[in-house]
Amino acid sequence: MTVDPNAATQGFASPQPVPRRPGAARFLMPALVAAAVAVALGAYGRVHDPAGTAFNLAGFSSTSAVKSWLATASFGFALVQIVSALMIYGRLPGPGWAAALHRWSGRVAFLVAVPVAVHCLYALGYQTYTPRVMWHSALGCFFFGIFSAKMLLLRSERLPGWLLPVVGGLVFAALTVVWLTSALWFFRTFGVTT
Amino acid sequence: MKRIGPLLTLLGGLLLALFMLTLNATTGSASKATSAGDTVSASPTATRPPTTSAPPSPSASPTPAPSRSAPANADYAGRTDDDSSAVAVSLRDGRAIAYFCDGRDQESWLRGDVAEDGSMRLTGKTGGVLAGKLADGRIRGTVDLGGQRHTFTAEKAVKPSGLYRATATVRGAEIDGGWIVLPGGRQVGILNRDGAPGAAPEIDPETGAVTVDGQELTARPVTP
Repeated sequence: MTVDPNAATQGFASPQPVPRRPGAARFLMPALVAAAVAVALGAYGRVHDPAGTAFNLAGFSSTSAVKSWLATASFGFALVQIVSALMIYGRLPGPGWAAALHRWSGRVAFLVAVPVAVHCLYALGYQTYTPRVMWHSALGCFFFGIFSAKMLLLRSERLPGWLLPVVGGLVFAALTVVWLTSALWFFRTFGVTT
Repeated sequence: MKRIGPLLTLLGGLLLALFMLTLNATTGSASKATSAGDTVSASPTATRPPTTSAPPSPSASPTPAPSRSAPANADYAGRTDDDSSAVAVSLRDGRAIAYFCDGRDQESWLRGDVAEDGSMRLTGKTGGVLAGKLADGRIRGTVDLGGQRHTFTAEKAVKPSGLYRATATVRGAEIDGGWIVLPGGRQVGILNRDGAPGAAPEIDPETGAVTVDGQELTARPVTP
C-alpha cells in the first residue's frame, strides 16, 4: 500500500488542539527562509557583475547546452516527483518504495538544478530585458526559495493536509516555467544539440 | 522526531553551489586569461591548435588586485572619427579588452590595464596599440593599426550593445568572429575562417545567435 511511514505531515486530526504559537512559527520560519533565499539569489544576480563565462564540460558545444540538458534532467525527475507524490497520497496505485522514490528523485532533481542556477547567477545574472528572461530570472529565484520552504516544512509535523501538496505543486510549477523559458527555448532556438 | 533528511538535502545543495562557485572563481579567471570571453568550443580551449588570431596567451594579463580604485566595470562602443571602423572597450576590475574592427579585413583584439585616472594603453597580439582615456562616461583615444592612426570616441554601451565574440570549429575550419553592436543597433564584425578575415553575418544581439556556414553559433559578450 501507499502509506509513507515518514509522511506524518499528511496529518491525522490531532486529538488535542495544536498550540497556536508554535503553529504560527512553524509556517513563518519556512516562509521567511523562502523569502530570504529568493531575495538573496536575486540580489546576488542583480548586484554582482555577470562574468559572462564559466567553465564548460567537455563534449558539449556551449555552457548553454550543458545547462539545458541538466535542466531537462531536473525537469524529468520533477515529473517523477509528481507521479510518486500521487502514489504516496494514494491517488495512484504504487509500490511500497514510492516514498523513497519521491525523496531520492527530488534530491537528484534539486542537486542537478543547482549547478545550472550557479552558472546562471554567476555568468548571466538577474536580467529583465525581455519577458522570457524576466520570468526566468524571477521564477528561478522563487524556485529555490519555495524549495527551501518545502524542505523545512517536511520537518514539521501535523501540518494541514493541503499544505505540502500546494507547496510541492508550486515548486513543480516554478521549475516547469523556468525550464520552458530556458531549456525548451534553447532547444527550439538552437536545435536539440549537445 | 525531527527529520534530518530535508536539511541534509538543502545542505548538500548549498555545498554543491559553493563548490561550483569556487570552481568558477578559480578556473573562470584562468579561462578568462586564455580566451577572450566565453567561446563556443567543441573541445577545451587548451587542446585547440592556435590560429593566427588566437586569443591572447595566459601571460597577457596577470590578474591585478581588484581592491584598487579602478574605473567602474562597463562597456563602451563607438566609431572612429573618419567613420571607417568601430571600437569597443570592455572594462572589468581595472583591466580592459578592446576590439577594433573595420567590418572587412582590419581588426585587432587589444588588452591591458586601466589606470586609476581612466587612462589606458592596450596592445594587440597581432599588432596595434590603443591609447585612450575614460572621462565623462566616454572613452576618447586613438588606435594605431597597420600604419594608420584612427581617432575614436566610444560611448557607454548597455546590453544588447557591446562587444561579442564566437569561436568554434565549423566543418573543419576554425571560426573566430568578433562583433561590435553599436548603441542604436548597427553592427560591425569580422569573421575569420582559418585566419582569413571576411565580413561577418549579423548576430541577434539579444541571444548572440549567428549562423556561420549553415551552423548556428552563439556569440558571447567579451570581458577581459
